[in-house]
Amino acid sequence: MNGAEVILEDVSKFYGEVLGVNRVSLHIPPGITSLVGPNGSGKTTLMNLMAGLIHPDRGSIRVRGISPRDPERLMRITGYATQYDAAPRSMTGFEFISSLLALHGHSRSRSAQLAVQALERVGLSDAAHRKVAGYSKGMRQRVRLAQAIAHDPEVLILDEPLNGLDPLVRAETIEMFRGEAARGRHVILSSHVLQEVDIISDQVILIANGMIAAEGEIRSVREEMHEHPSQFLVRAREASRVASLLFLQDHVTEVRLSEDRQGLLVLTRSREAFSQALASIALDGYGIESVAPVDENVDALYKYLIGGEPS
Amino acid sequence: MPVYRRGYQRYAGPVTAHRHRMLAFPRHAWKRLMEQRLVVLVMLASFFWPLLCAVFVYLSNRADLLQGFDKAFVAFLEVKGRFFLIFMNVQSAAAVILAALAGPGLVAPDLTNNALPLYLSRPVSRFDYVLGRWLVLAALLSPVTWIPGLLLFAIQSGMAGWGWFAANWRLGAGVLLGFAAWILLVSLVALAGSALVRWRIIAGALVLAFFFVLAGAAQIIRQILRTEWSVLMDPGGAMYRIWSSLLGVEAPEGPGALACGLALIAMALLLAWVLERRLRPVEVVS
Amino acid sequence: MTPLRLRQALTLAWLEARRAFLSRRSFWVYLLALFPAFVFFMHGISVKIQRDRLSSRGVISAALMDSVRESETEAAVIARLGKPVNDFAFDRRAKQDRALVRRVNYFDGSRILVLTFANGVLESKRVRTLVNLEEDRAVFAMVFQNFYLRLAVFFGCLGIFVNLFRGKMMDKTLHFWLLAPMRREVLLGGKYLAGLLAASLIFGLGALLSFRLMLWEKPPAELALFWQQHGPAHAFAYTAAAVLACVGYGSVFLATGLLLRNPIIPAAVLLLWEGANPFLPSMLQKLSVIYYVQALCPVAPPPDPNMPAIMQFLFSPANPPSRLLAVTGLLLVTALVLWLAARAVRKIEINYSTD
Repeated sequence: MNGAEVILEDVSKFYGEVLGVNRVSLHIPPGITSLVGPNGSGKTTLMNLMAGLIHPDRGSIRVRGISPRDPERLMRITGYATQYDAAPRSMTGFEFISSLLALHGHSRSRSAQLAVQALERVGLSDAAHRKVAGYSKGMRQRVRLAQAIAHDPEVLILDEPLNGLDPLVRAETIEMFRGEAARGRHVILSSHVLQEVDIISDQVILIANGMIAAEGEIRSVREEMHEHPSQFLVRAREASRVASLLFLQDHVTEVRLSEDRQGLLVLTRSREAFSQALASIALDGYGIESVAPVDENVDALYKYLIGGEPS
Repeated sequence: MPVYRRGYQRYAGPVTAHRHRMLAFPRHAWKRLMEQRLVVLVMLASFFWPLLCAVFVYLSNRADLLQGFDKAFVAFLEVKGRFFLIFMNVQSAAAVILAALAGPGLVAPDLTNNALPLYLSRPVSRFDYVLGRWLVLAALLSPVTWIPGLLLFAIQSGMAGWGWFAANWRLGAGVLLGFAAWILLVSLVALAGSALVRWRIIAGALVLAFFFVLAGAAQIIRQILRTEWSVLMDPGGAMYRIWSSLLGVEAPEGPGALACGLALIAMALLLAWVLERRLRPVEVVS
Repeated sequence: MTPLRLRQALTLAWLEARRAFLSRRSFWVYLLALFPAFVFFMHGISVKIQRDRLSSRGVISAALMDSVRESETEAAVIARLGKPVNDFAFDRRAKQDRALVRRVNYFDGSRILVLTFANGVLESKRVRTLVNLEEDRAVFAMVFQNFYLRLAVFFGCLGIFVNLFRGKMMDKTLHFWLLAPMRREVLLGGKYLAGLLAASLIFGLGALLSFRLMLWEKPPAELALFWQQHGPAHAFAYTAAAVLACVGYGSVFLATGLLLRNPIIPAAVLLLWEGANPFLPSMLQKLSVIYYVQALCPVAPPPDPNMPAIMQFLFSPANPPSRLLAVTGLLLVTALVLWLAARAVRKIEINYSTD
């Protein structure tokens, strides 16, 4: 499995006296992985390290078994869309993508063919032959994305890839990520928008101050956080009665009744015990209509682990 | 009632005079410049030649030390217009290098970061902005140009006596005027270069290129077309002729100080036009 | 080098060179390269206009022109040589003396005879050659070595080669090249090749064009002889010198653009160093690009008569090396600089600043 993972072992990177990332160890399996953290937390540094654009001061990195110090091999299997809003302004989108593909060793016709495909995938076919200088911010974002996916890489590293995209393109792009993940590929991205991260990520890496705060699937990360009780929203016909029954349970720490007296916010230390108790109450006919976890998402994880709002 | 009527109150307290506001521009820039090791280093190196010249002035006034020396040598040591001309020539090169180092950092970052709209949305004009930036350069270049020049003149006057001063006061005035013109030109080149290319590094190269390449181009024309008038496109060469005239030194063949002055005024106007075109409070979306 | 790496380097070189040739930012490089050619062209036009104007007013034979002797009278000379092409008179007052001066010119097709008569007697006789191949060749040598190599090629290479890495850093696009699947050394090689291709073509052709235009409007017989004897060799030598200067300066500026955040400072130092080359001790003169490149130039430039006395005293150009040694030395220096640059490029990191 190791050969198919992105592995960082005890990686540190400093910019002079400024901390980039500190003693980061990660095993990232294929699928969609989101890096979440506040400004300056080290997300871009981590991505740059994986792509070999910067080198660690200590520790080692392997991307599917390849060291980032070997760009000749690494970049065959890796595509990276950086956050830098820059592309050669004097070239057209097509020229830009096809010229980079030519450096992969593809013939001119093959490069052209792959460039057309990549631009089509990001919805930029119509503007393919316009100069990048005339592109909008969203189009520049897409051309960077096209550059990253054009050579069909196994590992896609994407720094804020959804920034500046309109809702339709955003949805299509997310679909594309899912498609890549379904093919057993790595899609490692960072995003500001927690709801999106929540929807698309197989796993998240929460990073703060250059250190990893948590990593893994959102639910399992949440389960590991014993100090924060899990929260559930329950809708029931006889909500106040359900509340009194739940309150008898040891693992339930708090129950709040909503204003319409049909909703309950339940805080519990044990998700398992809560499920069993609720099942038993439901069988007794108290008209339970729905149960939904409130804090099984990246937003909650972020608040618990890092505090404040991500950026 | 609109929100602004309820919550907004215009500032009605005292404000500084308009002429003082532009001083906000050089205040921090000067401090930042002095934090750059290279600028300080070049500035310190620029004091070497004035020190050497001060030693020369001292020696030339010590008749007791010169006894027994060849007459031609004693004449060579005499402090006169040519001495100040050579002094100015060397220091003018130091001023160009300093301006190439310091000048581009004054305007280029403001353009790159779209800061001009921010500055100019305050009660200051574009002229104030340019003047504020120019003051930084003027303050930087003065200690390596007219200040040591006048100090040398003062040392010479002090040592040679009132008679020398009365006969040669024109040299002091020439040094002051000549360097003032040079500072104005060099600063304009540095500011215009910086406004033109936005990148500090390239702007620095542009300042150097302006002086060296134009001098080279003038020489090419001089050699090929056998004309001395090509000096009009060489800012250093043209200024040299003006200085020669101010210091009463025989100038090389070719156009005189008036023609050179007109050529330099034309250059300065061109540079001012570049500044006028480039320094506008608009945001460039890239 | 594997075929793939070679192909990558060539592809990169082509992409970058195309941009260097066609970009608007390169306009000033063309200006630098073509400026001497333009001035030689203007000189040619001026000579042509002058010759046509003088010829239309009458041409005398060379023998007749040489026949004028000191102390001949104005009337005798004009009776023998005929109507002059230019003729003007003025009163000359110097102290107590007053003289009626008449200055006349005669033209024999290539030379202009300037005769000055004072009070009807020949006072001075001067012959000026309208077109002088030897003189123009010396002028070309001076322009080429003192200005074309030291300034035009220098600043042109500075612009082209610094842009390859530092320029891409500044416009935040260098990472795209680092994200290509190629060794960093191949990237360096490709970029150097691109810069060299652009600089060599622009400045090599610029030198060749200047050389050709310098020969324009010269007497056909003299020109034909020159082309038979030295012309092609000289043309080749100047072009090769320009190209070799690009090789040397290019490697230095590529490395400084890679190693230093602000390459302008070393560039300024190098400019002064190269400019001061003939004034340095002979050992130090050898540590420059210009020393080797000048050795390839076929004509030594005459010393500048306007050079101040103290500068003339210090002026002591070292003995030039043999051409083989010059080329080998320069290539070795270039290889060394590129090797240092290759070590640096392996460690290069993307850290865009606001420069």
